[in-house]
Amino acid sequence: MKLKSALTIAAMSLASASFAQEAAKVAPLEISGSVDTYFKYDFAKVPNIATSFASDQNSISIGMIDLALKKTTGKASFVGELSFGPRGQAGSLLSENGESFHIQNLYASYAFTDKFTMTAGFMGTFIGYEVISPVANFNYSTSYLFSAGPFQNAGIKGTYAFTDKVSLMVGLFDDWNVYTDVNGVSHVGAQLTVSPVEGWTAYLNVLSGKSAGAVGVGTIMDLTTSYQVTEKVKVGLNAADYTIGNDGGGYSGAALYLQNAFSPAVSLGIRGEYFSTKDKMNGAANLNVVPGESVTAVTLSANIKSGGLTFIPEVRFDNGSADMFVKSSLLPTKSASQFSLALVYAF
Amino acid sequence: MTMTVFAQDKPLSLDENGKLIYYEVVEAKGGAIDALKQRLDVFLKAQVKAKTLKIKSKAGDSIQQAGGKFAIRKTGLVLSRPSGEVLYHFYAEVREGKYRFWLTDFSFIPYERDRYGNFVPSTSIGVPLERKPGKLNAGDWDAYVKAATKDVNAFAVVFKAAMQQSSLVPPVSKAVPVISTKKW
Repeated sequence: MKLKSALTIAAMSLASASFAQEAAKVAPLEISGSVDTYFKYDFAKVPNIATSFASDQNSISIGMIDLALKKTTGKASFVGELSFGPRGQAGSLLSENGESFHIQNLYASYAFTDKFTMTAGFMGTFIGYEVISPVANFNYSTSYLFSAGPFQNAGIKGTYAFTDKVSLMVGLFDDWNVYTDVNGVSHVGAQLTVSPVEGWTAYLNVLSGKSAGAVGVGTIMDLTTSYQVTEKVKVGLNAADYTIGNDGGGYSGAALYLQNAFSPAVSLGIRGEYFSTKDKMNGAANLNVVPGESVTAVTLSANIKSGGLTFIPEVRFDNGSADMFVKSSLLPTKSASQFSLALVYAF
Repeated sequence: MTMTVFAQDKPLSLDENGKLIYYEVVEAKGGAIDALKQRLDVFLKAQVKAKTLKIKSKAGDSIQQAGGKFAIRKTGLVLSRPSGEVLYHFYAEVREGKYRFWLTDFSFIPYERDRYGNFVPSTSIGVPLERKPGKLNAGDWDAYVKAATKDVNAFAVVFKAAMQQSSLVPPVSKAVPVISTKKW
């Protein structure tokens, strides 16, 4: 009888173990998302700093509601992520007129082996430190490097993991931020991911191609890295250079991120950034920074978390090399500052 | 062993160092030390192959040490997503006619959604699970501890079942009957 009981328990255990393995292969449909809303006040009483998303002055405004679905069956998976609201529409890419939503991610993947995966569709860009979703950013206002760089790339890419610490992605992509490339699949991109020590990951990125209407081939080189120094301290760095051929200009800059978690619920972080626009004959202004000029920005943010809710109070000071902001009298000035409060709920 | 482990999980206790621990000594009547060692090795190899455990260096002459993690999921009526993972260390030691095992060094790593819509660890250094959270996150933290307790108990059931078996016999698959249309 005892033997029978033992065998029964063992069989059930094995069944539960094999069920767990099967469950891992056919994961349930994941549903997640976020909503965000904010209040921003520029001390010049007019919208001044060219940050993405948190742009409305002296207004309790909305960001977006973001809904994401993910499903994995065996080696195949898909992600579909839609956003509704200014942050996901005009704030990101497409005109609010005629577009009732914006796709953040829409792609399918297939893992041919444990080491090699192919992905195709419309994806968040692999360039840069910050992203559109407020959930994955520490600061609510965004950096110049984020706003000037690509937000999303449609394309097909293959990723090969040489080891746990080194992997390489190579892909073909459309122009930046478009669902359809009118001049053909025009860009090639690559990302080398290196994790030298536990907690430190570095991404070396390149994306190059001629966009529709551009005067030359544009190439962006980007380094994005972060290091969890201790349980509480995290350091991040983003440096990028974008050059457009035929004297088409471009930009370069770097942003340093320092964050300290005083507790699991309360963190404080500072972002310091330098951004300049290249002085070229065919160059154009980037985010109010005219060719040959630059701007430095310091942003201090807190993250106070309760459950899925994050409260982000933030102050930001920007200082240009030339007059690129305005005072409350609308006279030009070199500096600007703003204060914002944001609520981000992730589910 | 009874079915009660499925109905009610054994809670995690605090050890002498103030760490959460699941500790159990199991009498294996008639189990020779060599046979128990072999079963432990078979279990560990199977877990390593399934990538659920990573063997660490031996903690003592006869103590096996391995590291693993439990995925913590947030589920609701229409919601299901990973919210983090609990890292742990597993120790096991066998002696003549008995063995003991314990899981401890629990630490929680929250997940965040990355730019591609995937949930990934937000940090590489976990927060010890026995640490009392502030009021703001007490509810979530209790849920993590409960989920970890459930996973630890399930792990213990599987481990003890493996230690009872002399060998793991793969299930025999029944031949699918084939209908011949040539003979009639």
